Amino acid sequence: MQRRISPYLILMMAPALAVFGAFFILPMARLVVTASAGPSGFGIYLKALTTLRYVESLMYTIFLSAAVTVVTLVLSGISGVFLTRNDFRGKKILVAMLTFPLAFPGVVVGFMIILLVGRQGLVGDVTQFITGGKVVLAYSMAGLFLGYLYFSIPRVITTIMAAAEKIDISLEEAARSLGASPWRVVKDVLIPALVPGIISSGAICFATSMGAFGTAFTLATDIDVLPIVIYTEFTLSANIAMASALSIGLGLITWLVLSLARTAAGATVAAAG
Amino acid sequence: MKKRSPLFYAQLILTLSVCAFLIVPVVQSVMAGITENFLVGIKGGVTLRWFGRVWELYRDTIFRSILIGLACLFATLIAGVPAAYAMVKKQNRFTRLFEEFLVTPLAIPGLAIALALLITYGGFTEFRRSSFFILVGHVIFTLPFMVRSVVAVMSSFNLAELEEGAASLGAGFRRRFFQIVLPNAMPGILAGSLMVFTLSIGEFNLTWMLHTPLTKTLPVGLADSYASMRLEIGSAYTIVFFFMIIPLLMAMQWVAGPRKKEIPMQPHDEMREKIRGPEEQETVSIPNYRNNNRQPDKITGTSLRMENCAKTFEDGTLALEPFDLAVDAGETVVVLGPSGCGKTTMLRILAGLESPDPNGKVFFGDEDVTDVPIEKRNVGMVFQSYALFPNMNVAENIAYGLKVRGGGRDTRKIRVAEMLDMMQIRELRNRRIGQLSGGQKQRVALARAIAIRPRVLLLDEPLTALDAKLRDALRIEIDTLLRSLGITAIYVTHDQSEAMALGDRIVVMNIGRTAQIGTPREIYFEPKNQFVADFIGTINRLPCRIREGNLVLPGKPISLEQACHVRTRGREMVDVFFRPEHATVVEAGQGHLRATILASFFMGDRTRLIVKGSASEHLTIEASGHQSFNTGRQVDIEIDPSSLLTLHE
Repeated sequence: MQRRISPYLILMMAPALAVFGAFFILPMARLVVTASAGPSGFGIYLKALTTLRYVESLMYTIFLSAAVTVVTLVLSGISGVFLTRNDFRGKKILVAMLTFPLAFPGVVVGFMIILLVGRQGLVGDVTQFITGGKVVLAYSMAGLFLGYLYFSIPRVITTIMAAAEKIDISLEEAARSLGASPWRVVKDVLIPALVPGIISSGAICFATSMGAFGTAFTLATDIDVLPIVIYTEFTLSANIAMASALSIGLGLITWLVLSLARTAAGATVAAAG
Repeated sequence: MKKRSPLFYAQLILTLSVCAFLIVPVVQSVMAGITENFLVGIKGGVTLRWFGRVWELYRDTIFRSILIGLACLFATLIAGVPAAYAMVKKQNRFTRLFEEFLVTPLAIPGLAIALALLITYGGFTEFRRSSFFILVGHVIFTLPFMVRSVVAVMSSFNLAELEEGAASLGAGFRRRFFQIVLPNAMPGILAGSLMVFTLSIGEFNLTWMLHTPLTKTLPVGLADSYASMRLEIGSAYTIVFFFMIIPLLMAMQWVAGPRKKEIPMQPHDEMREKIRGPEEQETVSIPNYRNNNRQPDKITGTSLRMENCAKTFEDGTLALEPFDLAVDAGETVVVLGPSGCGKTTMLRILAGLESPDPNGKVFFGDEDVTDVPIEKRNVGMVFQSYALFPNMNVAENIAYGLKVRGGGRDTRKIRVAEMLDMMQIRELRNRRIGQLSGGQKQRVALARAIAIRPRVLLLDEPLTALDAKLRDALRIEIDTLLRSLGITAIYVTHDQSEAMALGDRIVVMNIGRTAQIGTPREIYFEPKNQFVADFIGTINRLPCRIREGNLVLPGKPISLEQACHVRTRGREMVDVFFRPEHATVVEAGQGHLRATILASFFMGDRTRLIVKGSASEHLTIEASGHQSFNTGRQVDIEIDPSSLLTLHE
């Protein structure tokens, strides 16, 4: 019986296989070939790793993504657990508002940051009113940081909330019955139970930040994150081999982080956007 | 009002700040989009003219985005849904690898994918200049989301069994896919569709690289307006974007909502079963087909035969050793054995869900059905978990097999009514499957299997999912039903009392082979070997010496003439066996054995004693319920000599 169905199953996978083979696997293979087809061959990777501009950009990107991940996890962790555990009026609206930016493309996020801390931003106006000096963060590392935070928080909050909902509340009650203080309950019960969710959403957050392009593009900051470098290499310098090599490197890093997280968390993990 | 702790307020403030961080700029952009001059603020006047400008400048991007989104949705449906089905259906190295590949676009930055597409297909100028180029990127990016969403829902219900259920009623592959698989996977397809469309509308990373000045999408237009237009126009354009995604987000919430509610169905279901009124109580209500004037015609069952049916699984394990069985028309045969003994494999071969190894043959009557798939065999099958189709109500479930066979609507109606009456579930006819209790599901499953007038009725542990009391009631019901229908039935179970009660004959199985075939009485009183004796009821083993034609026991000896079932085969030592009810407690000095009581269990009509004799292991014997026994007391035990057996190991 099972063997008899096989041809059907192949047929059912055929459209996906065709689309995928033609427009993902083949292009990715081409990308790898192109990277090493330049004048320096496979040396291109070595060149990428020894050119100060690229290494600096890579370091900035990693540092920024890591910082965003940590801060997002802390903020969303607290808010997410708080929202699952407590019921109060207006909670639904609050959750809806917190998850609304989930569907924003990077450019819109960039625009939001300009409105908030840009030259004509709200924060600038307020600080000017209070101290006389205008605080403008949008076009620096801080602006990028806020932008990445902006698109990371909604994603992580939804994952944490889903994970927190699954926690058996009797575990906490048991800990309390054994005399654990609220802090100990958090440390010994809540956080361990959330670990898979934290790992997976943290990895997604990190990988998404590494590859984020739209936000940096809109903010047009003085700091070049790796995706922007790749973009300029490709469009302005027409250095296609280097752009390919760098994007392979970037892809490897995000893929590796997500694979590691998946092994660690045992759940399916993916970046989006 | 509950008193909240300071911790609560601290967390609330933090959450509100996070929310403010996310929402304040949204509000700002809305304000900026409707004011004459953002720098002056609301007092400078409110206007809608920026929307007019957006319409003039970027109208095409809005339509293009919607079109690409729809096309992308269409493509991911065509490619993603069947692929998801294949992955859930067949889990092997190939499909796992495929799944692994399919989700890689999620792990790789859009920029890299776009670059790869440009390098590979950028040279095809026509293609490069068209919106199809963007569409391709979107499909690759969104396909994993569709597949995932559908896979998640498909794995949440027992897809394989539902399909087997449909197949047993005669539905072919196409019918199963469109009538069973797709409707039940609908929540996943819907969620995936909304996700794909929303993602496609908002996609920027890939699109920016793939677009041309003539193929700008909404997010590309947004980037363009932020860079080159005044702030108010960018804001108005952003508001347009918000208006497009808000309904999508709300729809996603709505789709995700009902699925959550269905999860606590189980406990709720049990509760209803408990609080049901007495008239609905599931007691022994013999179905009324006997004194029913609309009695369904007797189904004349076929005889069936399995010859040399072995089954080796793909991994090489031999699940069933060459197996032979002949069943008369109208006979009920119960296949009994511990889990993993091959009984379900045997039933699935009979049903046509598995094929036997080469040389195995299955006959229904004189027809060789070995190569006939289940949907053509005309068997009725009742599954352990019932496999009722959740996308159809009770009446539709019962009618399904008839519908597949293409009978007229009216005949179908009559037949369904007949079945509902017969199983006494008329009031359930329009219920959803999720609203049924376990016992009700059981009846619907039986009705559905019988409605097609099968040649053979196959029941795979049909009562296992029910609690003990309901099981007893339904067992009687099934027994009456099978007898009055005169149908050939094969009933698989691991419960010996079910087997004893239902079977004309019992096939006892152990580790892939038949241990004994016989009537319940034969199996109980003349077990062929120790496994059968142990599996059916309780049996005691007593090693004893033979001297001068007598079994030597601590008390009175038993002559071999009296113990007519004991075969010594010239040995000096034999193990003899007897059932608990064949031993009685007698006055001191009168028994064959003397033993100490280790434990006694009062069971109402009798008392079960666990005793330890001087020369034996623990024995289980029965005494009348009137006597009471103290632990530690010495008793004399007499055994009925004619009930003593010798058994093969």
